[in-house]
Amino acid sequence: MLFGQRWILALLLLCVAPAWAELQIEINQGVENPTPIAVVPFAWQGVGSAPEDVAQIVDSDLARSGQFSPVSRRDMLSYPTRESELFFRDWRAISAEYVLIGRVSVGSQARIDFQLFDTTRQEAVESGAVTGPVTELRMLAHRVADSVYETLTGIPGAFATRLLYVSVTRNPEGKDFYRLTLADADGRRPIVLLEGRDPILSPSWSPDGSEVAYVSFETSRPAIYRQNLRTGAREQLTNFKGLNNSPAWSPDGNTMALVLSKDGNPDIYLLSLTSRALTRLTRHFAIDTEPTWMPDGKSLLFTSDRGGRPQIYRYDLRTQKIERVTFQGPYNARARVAQDGRNVALVHQRDGRYHIAVFDLVTDRLTVLTETSLDESPSIAPNGSIVLYATKRGENSILGAVAVDGGVRFSLPAREGSVQEPAWSPYFTP
Amino acid sequence: MTAVSIKPALRAGFLLMGAGLFGFAIPGSLLAQDYVDVEAERRAAEQAMATEAAPVVDPATSYTGIRPYSGSTTVAQPPAETAAPITGTDSGSLILRVQQLEADVRRLAGLLEEATQALRSLEAQSLERYVDLDRRLAQGGSTGSAQQGASTGSDMTGTAGVAPPGGDATDARSVDAQEGEEPAYRAAYEKVRERDFDNAVLAFTEFLSDYPFGRYAPNAHYWLGELYLVVEPPDPELARQNFKLLLDQYPADPKVPDALYKLGRVQFIKGNRQRSREYLDEVIREYPSHAAAQLARQFLLENF
Repeated sequence: MLFGQRWILALLLLCVAPAWAELQIEINQGVENPTPIAVVPFAWQGVGSAPEDVAQIVDSDLARSGQFSPVSRRDMLSYPTRESELFFRDWRAISAEYVLIGRVSVGSQARIDFQLFDTTRQEAVESGAVTGPVTELRMLAHRVADSVYETLTGIPGAFATRLLYVSVTRNPEGKDFYRLTLADADGRRPIVLLEGRDPILSPSWSPDGSEVAYVSFETSRPAIYRQNLRTGAREQLTNFKGLNNSPAWSPDGNTMALVLSKDGNPDIYLLSLTSRALTRLTRHFAIDTEPTWMPDGKSLLFTSDRGGRPQIYRYDLRTQKIERVTFQGPYNARARVAQDGRNVALVHQRDGRYHIAVFDLVTDRLTVLTETSLDESPSIAPNGSIVLYATKRGENSILGAVAVDGGVRFSLPAREGSVQEPAWSPYFTP
Repeated sequence: MTAVSIKPALRAGFLLMGAGLFGFAIPGSLLAQDYVDVEAERRAAEQAMATEAAPVVDPATSYTGIRPYSGSTTVAQPPAETAAPITGTDSGSLILRVQQLEADVRRLAGLLEEATQALRSLEAQSLERYVDLDRRLAQGGSTGSAQQGASTGSDMTGTAGVAPPGGDATDARSVDAQEGEEPAYRAAYEKVRERDFDNAVLAFTEFLSDYPFGRYAPNAHYWLGELYLVVEPPDPELARQNFKLLLDQYPADPKVPDALYKLGRVQFIKGNRQRSREYLDEVIREYPSHAAAQLARQFLLENF
């Protein structure tokens, strides 16, 4: 949990967002027959009262996944915190298939011990412990949820991750105020990285999650900045004439793909973050934009209207060849590739409406995931299971989330104002 | 189009800033849907530039080549010198024409991409269909009459024969396939699909020694006939023997018309024009509506 310590630093350097900027979570649709699980309140082994209800955090994470239906605490017949206090009949009686118990202790570090039991087989299926800084207790709780989720579904959880988004509020004079905000994946603990009257666009993560890049108009024209989340250090990377847009970090973190129009019209460029050398990748009178890297770093996907309508193309860095990837419908744009290198989330137009769709690079099959009509900016969770996107609700834009298989949906509106341009963090590497 | 709250402010900013900047200070990926907006704004900016350029370059002065183009943009400017000799054309309208051409090229490039993709998927589909047809034929003559009219007969790609109209299918195929026969046949056939013809010959030969009177024996003979014509070097005599065997031993097999046509070709290759002609005539006479007859007519027309 090294990163946790660095996060403290980040917390000190950055101001905490006002409560209304926080995202709320509304679950719209879960899977059929979600697995009933009982997350028993964890024992607190420290002085005073517990700063966080760890079990409640785990409970909410699992509920938000849509794949579990946590049992209400009121229905629990007992609150065991150790295996010796656990009676399986109590849990079968309330139809809980699994029971999670645990203990939280705090010294110089926080530590959560937990055990997961199968009530039908009457045995432990998992037991483990996570440790980290006391201030990162919420993140530790998310890691417990990740672990339980992976044990029961076979897919790594993505609860101990973060979201980057731009929240926009309008003051009574009708002027917009922009905040580049960082929050936990459950929308809690929002931190404002940058705020002002100038638009902020295209936030994106470095592959290790330690830095972010974005476009800001603070100099009255667009420029790309990178900002270190640990130190708060901020650097302007580009300030070319015209567009400076869509920064996308390469998987090895050494190169940034971006869009510049300094040579005429928008084309894709690579900026070496070590040597600062700029390489032009595309050279076309059409608009080439929205680059995104394949996880192997050997090719990029981008949007281009070189075929008359915006479609996704692939640029192979070795052969320097460009090939068209999508052929479904008149409009496919803003691709984001899942870590498996196979599923691509994109914006797809059908019957004049803009939906989020998933395109399978192996089978060429495109599946529309959303029913709303003005969906944009898809971003895929690091475990590849959920696509986060921006959509409209009334006057405001909100974040929506949908499982790649379409089974689970939830939305994350801001308490006030709009929220847009979400970017789901990678897994944090220590 | 997408009335996101930040956009009006942005756009106003861009238009101001766009002057002298080729109007490109629009965030291309501000929102996915903005893509179209970017395009629209580019058009607007270019239009503005073009119309602004027109008064700058007075046709009369530019004709003399004295006054160079002095537009304030960084776009690739057609030099006034080269533009000048084109009668009745100023830089502004040239830019418009270039834009028109660019739009046309993009549209055509798109059509070409889509046509290429369509062709690719059609090729894949036709291979699948062919494999499926061959599989259904291999499953037995009982379904033969349902497959009329779906035959082709070129050398290696469309050899699947179909029972002639009214032809019954009471031949050796009505026996049930022995255990292991079908997998062995499929394996040999896979070699054909992989265009590994030498090994396909070996596989079908081995298949026939294992299942000489099996349900798939006629198919195997037919394939051997085909294969001996395409291996290096070709062996027309062995090809002839296999086609002839099919003809003599399985006279009601759906592949007979194709075999007759092939025998015509083989005899032609061997230099027996008379025998060749007899086989071709026989296909046309006996199976007039079969695809093989059509091929035979064509062959006669071209070679006799």
